[in-house]
Amino acid sequence: MKRSYIIGIILVAVAFGVIISTVNSSSTYATFSEAAAHPGKVYHVVGKLSPGRPLVYNPETNADLFVFYLNDNEGRECKVMLNKAKPQDFEKSEQVVIIGKMKDDAFIASDVLMKCPSKYNGNEAQRKELQ
Amino acid sequence: MNYIGEQLIFGQIGNALVALSFSGALLAAVAFFISFRTGDDGWKYIARTSFAIHSISVIGIFAVLYYLIFNHRFEYYYVWQHSSMSLPVKYIFSCFWEGQEGSFLLWSFWHIVLSWIVIFRGGKWEAPVMSIVGLVQAFLASMVLGVFVFGVKIGSNPFLLLREHPDMAKLPFVQFEDYLQRITDGRGLNPLLQNYWMVIHPPTLFLGFASTLFPFAYSLAGLMGRDRISAWIKPAMPWTFFSIMSLGAGILMGGAWAYEALSFGGFWAWDPVENASLVPWITIVAAAHVMVIYQKKKEALLSSFIFTLLTFLLILYSTFLTRSGILGESSVHAFTDLGMSGQLVFYMGFFVVLAGTLLIINRKKIVSSKEDDKTSSREFWMFTGVMFLAASALHISFVTSLPVINKIFGTKMAPPENAVAFYNSWQIPIAVAICLLMAVAQFFKYRQSEFSAVFKKLWWSLISSLAITIIAVITIKIYQPNHVLLLFTTVFSIIANLDYLFRVLKGKLNHSGSSVAHAGFSLLLLGALISNGKQEVISKNLLQVDLGPDFPNNENIMLVKHDTLRMGGYYVTWTGVEHKGVHLYYNIDYLKHNKQTGEFEKVFALQPLIQLNDRMGNVAEPSTKHFWNKDIYTHVTYANLESVKKEEADSNYTDIAEHALSIGDTLTTSNSLIVLTGINKNPETEHPLAKGSDLCVEAMIDIIDVNRKYYHAKPLFIIRKNIAFSPEFMVDELGLKLSFRKINPEHQKFIIAVAERKSNKADFIIMKAIVFPGINLLWIGCLLMLAGTFIAMMKWIRSDKAN
Repeated sequence: MKRSYIIGIILVAVAFGVIISTVNSSSTYATFSEAAAHPGKVYHVVGKLSPGRPLVYNPETNADLFVFYLNDNEGRECKVMLNKAKPQDFEKSEQVVIIGKMKDDAFIASDVLMKCPSKYNGNEAQRKELQ
Repeated sequence: MNYIGEQLIFGQIGNALVALSFSGALLAAVAFFISFRTGDDGWKYIARTSFAIHSISVIGIFAVLYYLIFNHRFEYYYVWQHSSMSLPVKYIFSCFWEGQEGSFLLWSFWHIVLSWIVIFRGGKWEAPVMSIVGLVQAFLASMVLGVFVFGVKIGSNPFLLLREHPDMAKLPFVQFEDYLQRITDGRGLNPLLQNYWMVIHPPTLFLGFASTLFPFAYSLAGLMGRDRISAWIKPAMPWTFFSIMSLGAGILMGGAWAYEALSFGGFWAWDPVENASLVPWITIVAAAHVMVIYQKKKEALLSSFIFTLLTFLLILYSTFLTRSGILGESSVHAFTDLGMSGQLVFYMGFFVVLAGTLLIINRKKIVSSKEDDKTSSREFWMFTGVMFLAASALHISFVTSLPVINKIFGTKMAPPENAVAFYNSWQIPIAVAICLLMAVAQFFKYRQSEFSAVFKKLWWSLISSLAITIIAVITIKIYQPNHVLLLFTTVFSIIANLDYLFRVLKGKLNHSGSSVAHAGFSLLLLGALISNGKQEVISKNLLQVDLGPDFPNNENIMLVKHDTLRMGGYYVTWTGVEHKGVHLYYNIDYLKHNKQTGEFEKVFALQPLIQLNDRMGNVAEPSTKHFWNKDIYTHVTYANLESVKKEEADSNYTDIAEHALSIGDTLTTSNSLIVLTGINKNPETEHPLAKGSDLCVEAMIDIIDVNRKYYHAKPLFIIRKNIAFSPEFMVDELGLKLSFRKINPEHQKFIIAVAERKSNKADFIIMKAIVFPGINLLWIGCLLMLAGTFIAMMKWIRSDKAN
């Protein structure tokens, strides 16, 4: 067997597999409206905490359930039920990415990523400190 | 305006050194190149001198910056941004790698250290290799220039004054002469970096990054040279192995840091930043293997070029990924953009074009033997292994690059929902194949061998590893097919490599490099398989409400202070929190129940902590108990930090809640169980509010706290003429207020009202605990792999000298 064939076959097969599997299984960044249009499909939604809405965490009942409200980038608000303990400093986060799917009227999130304003180089926050 | 208290002279010295380091590197590159083309020793002398000046300048920049940080000269933006008055001296060096400017300096520092080895020992390779190194150094030096050329900012200067920084220059406070006196403290170092791992991990990783430049430079020198086009491989050999070792050590230390000090829950999370440094490691490992094939068989020359060139380009790409802010939404620890992405892309593009052009020009000269490999040859199987490595690297880089692909093509693909499961599903089959090849390939001879002879040498390892696998599957209960396969192949590879080491090599240390490294790498994979595949989250809530399949309740446990809960094979108690400096230590006792005495006995205690930092966010750091065969990892996922003011919480009670109870009914509070045991119509107790003529009824209540201690409460219900009243009954130890509000005779219900002290509710933490079995296999594997690579490097150094 020609050595180059093996190389070719493996690489093409893998590259093909990777692209198919990634494109199919990968969730996309979306808004609540898109997520609501396809309930049950996993999306990443980027947004900000809804001001004035409660953050509900009752560890007595379930330490792995945290409920909050998020405004997505289109400004649509949605209830988010996160299947995780309440992240420390959640209130301070500036931007939130939630990963999960829509079910009924709520977004069931399996994970959350937070961007805190000054964790690395938040220039706004620095300015405020000095003023 | 004359600002008060500024020390500008150091910044001026620093800036002079920055300029000197840039021009020194550029001059060295040119002079080394001319000396290479002409063979002129005069140019070589100039080149070495300029490189010496460059070296001294970089070290000088370090010294000045260190001085400024040590003396808290906050008039310098970098110092203000990355350090603070309270920063312990041992973390001063960490300030260098928190900021991008500092990490470019560190990177360039390691290039310099390694370059002097080339200058002293490189012989005829010194000039061409150093001309490439000089060019890279000039690029790196430009990253800290901080000058504007035709309106484009080149580099970010670490000696920039705070009042001149674009974010600060317009602020009113810098218009005061005494602005410096108004800055009382710097922003401080990210608490994540205030950790001993972060003192040693970044320098090691940067050494690894720096080391990849040398195989790259030798490879390019080979393409530029007039000798045989493959002459570079032999002198580059030790560098390639050094690169595997140092980059490997850097990555593994990152894993150890994540495991010990981050709350990811594991040593590897397939985070984009981790992947960005793993991919070049995989390609440099591939490079080493094809270079070995070339040394033995004069084949795979093109692959040797491709993998050495690709590795350094991937290091540049990884720098771009982590420093351009493009990973922003997909990684927890990427840097934000300093406006240098353009420069990084240019830097990357320059070397891609340079390497690509030289390869194309020389394409006719890069020829391997025409004869096809036999499937019974060692090089055939080694090369197949290399292809699997390439497939692994390709997969990881494709998925990690999704944000870049999104940017270029305007798509909106998100990273995989569950990164670990996603990557594992692809990488485990590749690892299975690689382990098989690591076990088998060395028993083949180069060129050609008898399959039966190979099998004869291997059957013993095969049988014994099958036996071990069966026993392991049964005892540690690994059932997933891909996990079982990986278990078998790793065990097979470990045994076959040890067998090869002792039976074939007769334990000769000099030649043992590959066996030791391969056994180590297989052990590392085995440790990863067992500790990850069989990790067990023990912090399940056993008593809580089930909220359906969407909300499994099995990751975190709520611990009320002094409460004892069962968890895993232990009982745990949170005994309290200690405040030391910026750390809150949560004392968690792990107890065992002694059946004879009925008492709980403390087995060990862990102190996971939360580091308080108003400005950068609080950071939870786990605490881990190490046993020889497993680790118990504990971290606080959530704690109420809104420092509950003690007195206020003590005097404040929650709203009163009324409960209708029949006799024998129970109700729970946050720290106890309340049972209505009966009603006494003729209470004996003389209540100060009750008079002889009153009608009194007493509720008999038992209260059982979390430690099964009983309390008795007897709230009264008093009827005087037509007015009923219910005096409060206090149970101080538990912070409870009870009152007997009403009698509902029809339903035989008694209304009992309960209020709780607010601090009862505040004193809890949410904790996660994971058992990682067999994780020590992983660490031993790491050490073996590094040791094996070191042995191989030494072998190639000797072999290079012998010529």
